[in-house]
Amino acid sequence: MKPILLQGHERSITQIKYNREGDLLFSVAKDTVANVWYSVNGERLGTYNGHTGAVWCVDCDWDTKNVLTGSADNSCRLWDCETGKQLALLNTNSAVRTCGFDFSGNIIMFSTDKQMGYQCYLNFFDLRDPQQIEDNQPYLSIPCNDAKITSAVWGPLGEFVNAGHENGEINQFSAKSGEILKKAKEHSRQINDIQTSVDLTMFISASKDNTAKLFDSTSLEHIKTFKTERPVNSAAISPIMDHVVMGGGQEAMEVTTTSTRIGKFEARFFHAAYEEEFGRVKGHFGPINCVAFHPDGKSYSSGGEDGYVRIHYFDPQYFDFELEGPVRPFG
Amino acid sequence: MGIVNENTEAPVNTDQSESDVTIILSELLLDILREKPQEADGIDSVVVVDNVPQVGPERLEKLKNVIHKIFSKFGKITTEFYPEADGMTKGYIFLEYAAPTQALEAVKNADGYKLDKQHTFRVNLFTDFDKYMTISDEWETPEKQPFKDFGNMRHWIEDPDCRDQYSVIYEAGERTAIFSNDAKEPITAEERARWTETYVRWSPKGTYLATFHQRGIALWGGEKFKQIQRFSHQGVSLIDFSPCERYVVTFSPLMDTKEDPQAIIIWDILTGQKKRGFHCESSAHWPIFKWSHDGKFFARMTQDTLSIYETPSMGLLDKKSLKISGIKDFSWSPGDNIIAFWVPEDKDIPARVTLMQLPSRQEIRVRNLFNVVDCKLHWQRNGDYLCVKVDRTPKGTQGVVTNFEIFRMREKQVPVDVVEMKDSIIAFAWEPNGSKFAVLHGESPRINASFYHVKNNGKIELIKMFDKQQANSIFWSPQGQFMVLAGLRSMNGALAFVDTSDCTMMNIAEHYMASDVEWDPTGRYVVTSVSWWSHKVDNAYWLWTFQGRLLQKNNKDRFCQLLWRPRPPTLLSTDQIKMIKKDLKKYSKIFEQKDRLSQSKASKELVDKRRAMMEEYRRYRETAQQIYQEQKSIRLELRGGVDTDELDSNVDDWEEETIEFFINEEIIPLGDL
Repeated sequence: MKPILLQGHERSITQIKYNREGDLLFSVAKDTVANVWYSVNGERLGTYNGHTGAVWCVDCDWDTKNVLTGSADNSCRLWDCETGKQLALLNTNSAVRTCGFDFSGNIIMFSTDKQMGYQCYLNFFDLRDPQQIEDNQPYLSIPCNDAKITSAVWGPLGEFVNAGHENGEINQFSAKSGEILKKAKEHSRQINDIQTSVDLTMFISASKDNTAKLFDSTSLEHIKTFKTERPVNSAAISPIMDHVVMGGGQEAMEVTTTSTRIGKFEARFFHAAYEEEFGRVKGHFGPINCVAFHPDGKSYSSGGEDGYVRIHYFDPQYFDFELEGPVRPFG
Repeated sequence: MGIVNENTEAPVNTDQSESDVTIILSELLLDILREKPQEADGIDSVVVVDNVPQVGPERLEKLKNVIHKIFSKFGKITTEFYPEADGMTKGYIFLEYAAPTQALEAVKNADGYKLDKQHTFRVNLFTDFDKYMTISDEWETPEKQPFKDFGNMRHWIEDPDCRDQYSVIYEAGERTAIFSNDAKEPITAEERARWTETYVRWSPKGTYLATFHQRGIALWGGEKFKQIQRFSHQGVSLIDFSPCERYVVTFSPLMDTKEDPQAIIIWDILTGQKKRGFHCESSAHWPIFKWSHDGKFFARMTQDTLSIYETPSMGLLDKKSLKISGIKDFSWSPGDNIIAFWVPEDKDIPARVTLMQLPSRQEIRVRNLFNVVDCKLHWQRNGDYLCVKVDRTPKGTQGVVTNFEIFRMREKQVPVDVVEMKDSIIAFAWEPNGSKFAVLHGESPRINASFYHVKNNGKIELIKMFDKQQANSIFWSPQGQFMVLAGLRSMNGALAFVDTSDCTMMNIAEHYMASDVEWDPTGRYVVTSVSWWSHKVDNAYWLWTFQGRLLQKNNKDRFCQLLWRPRPPTLLSTDQIKMIKKDLKKYSKIFEQKDRLSQSKASKELVDKRRAMMEEYRRYRETAQQIYQEQKSIRLELRGGVDTDELDSNVDDWEEETIEFFINEEIIPLGDL
């Protein structure tokens, strides 16, 4: 499978996201730029201009009407997806690390970093109440006293948010009361990314402890673990197969030796039930920061430290692949 | 000011601060008070000297002078008594010193003093005689210590599938595990947290595993790796075993005092007793003490001196060290009690290598070398050959060239052959039980690997040379014939598996950033590994066959070190080995059948395991799907009645639109029409 290469960023990619129908792919990076592309051919649709710092997160609502971004310039911004117009600017006291629309698209949540004397907060705004936006007053703001939130996703019905923390913990915060409904302490080091399955019933957490783990979204029951020898930066669940994809690699400052093998950083495919790796895709020139499956499961994308986003369409063999005999890598 | 009366200790004058004065004066006089004569002291300061020459009155004065000269070194002699009988001195004398400490010094230093050929002084405290005389006549049998049964210490050798064991340190030293090597996957034999504080060492025959701790070392063994023995040596950092496993040598930079040498201690493993302690200036070239192959002798080199000690007495062989002016390096033959050492040029005496037989100290071979810069000694593992790598600057040139001086130890008068090398030498290694050696020479990127055969007819033949190799280390199989050329660390882990019987490359592979290569004791398997101590990512050890076929990749969190457990020497005679080799076909049939059985069993196990995992996963997904369906109405409500459960849920709302977009342009010239 020959990948489509998207060159629209000058610095490392921080997050990529497909819209619900999969025709658009959003990418944000450390270069303050937020792009949106047609996933079918890689043509760029447009850019959302306004952020003055690294953009850490992006999300799109279910109807592909609004786009939400969070940045190190201490703001969370709401955009009109089609026109690129900035609809709302929510200033914060510290960098916005993760953000997302709930299932209905009416409520947004975002977390702010523990920085410069300010706590980490998980904020909730109801978009149906313009006063909240105008006054920059979230209807719920949950402080996190210990380890800051590094990644968070909504539950299946907008009732709670599952958040991953710097110390490897996962807490389920109620979006109504703010109390912690459930806890899970399965990872030993920072959680880098959390992504849900397409039906929102489960999510996968990618951690610095060299593993990714599958959890049930509601009970936080730990279902599966996928082990590697490198820190995992991002993981995603296939919508149609029992597969997960993981991307990672050591941090740039830890790379002291130059390998003679170019494009050494790989996305790794694991069988979700057997917890075994069955394939790898090379191509990035640096660690992979973010991976995402197309909602139809026929392609996936990865964004790297090298500033490139690569869209890969699967060969027919991928769908016929059975893990019964000796493992045959592909791609 | 008061004066303290020594006898009554009451101050004569009474002043305001008489008690203070008493204290001060008492302190000042403390030293003198110590020497204050006490009744019993009289005997404590007396020594008895035996083996004194028996002389008549005419020589007595001279004798007394000699004795006085020798013994006044230890203190002030206050009285002397020379008993006589029949006009001659009896042969023993009594000397009284001013203090018991001086008498002790005399005993310590003069006992064993050789006056002349016939007279060696024996010096004892007078009170010792008393002590020994009053020993109870009744013999009390010492209490029987319960026998500590550690089980079969050779248990691992009896593994029915002949699996060798190896130790693995991982989690940056937090965990140590012992595995049995199976081609499919390692089988855990033992695993403990914080078993050692730094690293581990196996004893030479594999009986013990030594672990390091702040207070000393511990030895473990037997089927369950129980603690066999403990040796207390604060701050121990290095150890060495005698080849026979009878003794262990420990080194600590912390514990050393002038009177009581504690830097290096030699212990008896079975009894746990400390046998002897030594000073040590620096541990730069460990082991400081080198053992002879049979454990009968151990030796160390200091400035211009070679000290050879014998076991079990731990005393110097012939009671004195060898004076060898300028000695630079020495080593024992691994097959015989022969030491090879070399001294550099001294004025007009050329540098030379000497082979000395022990314990006779006979020099069996001396070889002069000219214009020598440096020498290194390389023994073949059976002691059949010695290679001296000589770096020389030939007269009239600036550069350094290298010669290999090959000593044929098994031939009469030890003939020496010379191989001249043009390049600089990177590595040299003998085939362990054969007559070949391998050399890596040249400079990156043009590194060459050359193989030589030392033939019986006096010639040394270059069998083959491979050029442009990525290698900086040579690893021979312990059984010979096969070897691995490796480019470790900076050469990114390039590996070449060579069969030296016909010098072919069996396989060329790579273990990226490999830092170590270890052969198993049978020569069947090779392990390459990336240690956390040298590289912080991809820490793992890989298992290969001796032909270079990769069998396993074992990732271990912060893997540090793997060491194979050595095997004790075989109990089979050479004839028995010949017989087995002849019947090998018969044995190999049985083994192949066994292998096939275990292979299919493994596949079946894997298939069963996968099936169980899939079933469990499916059950979970079904339950989740059920709940999902039940929540459909809530979902519809949240999205204003729009059904988004499937991507094609609202096909009726879709509009079909055809778009053309530009893909490619190709201009084809039609030529002149």
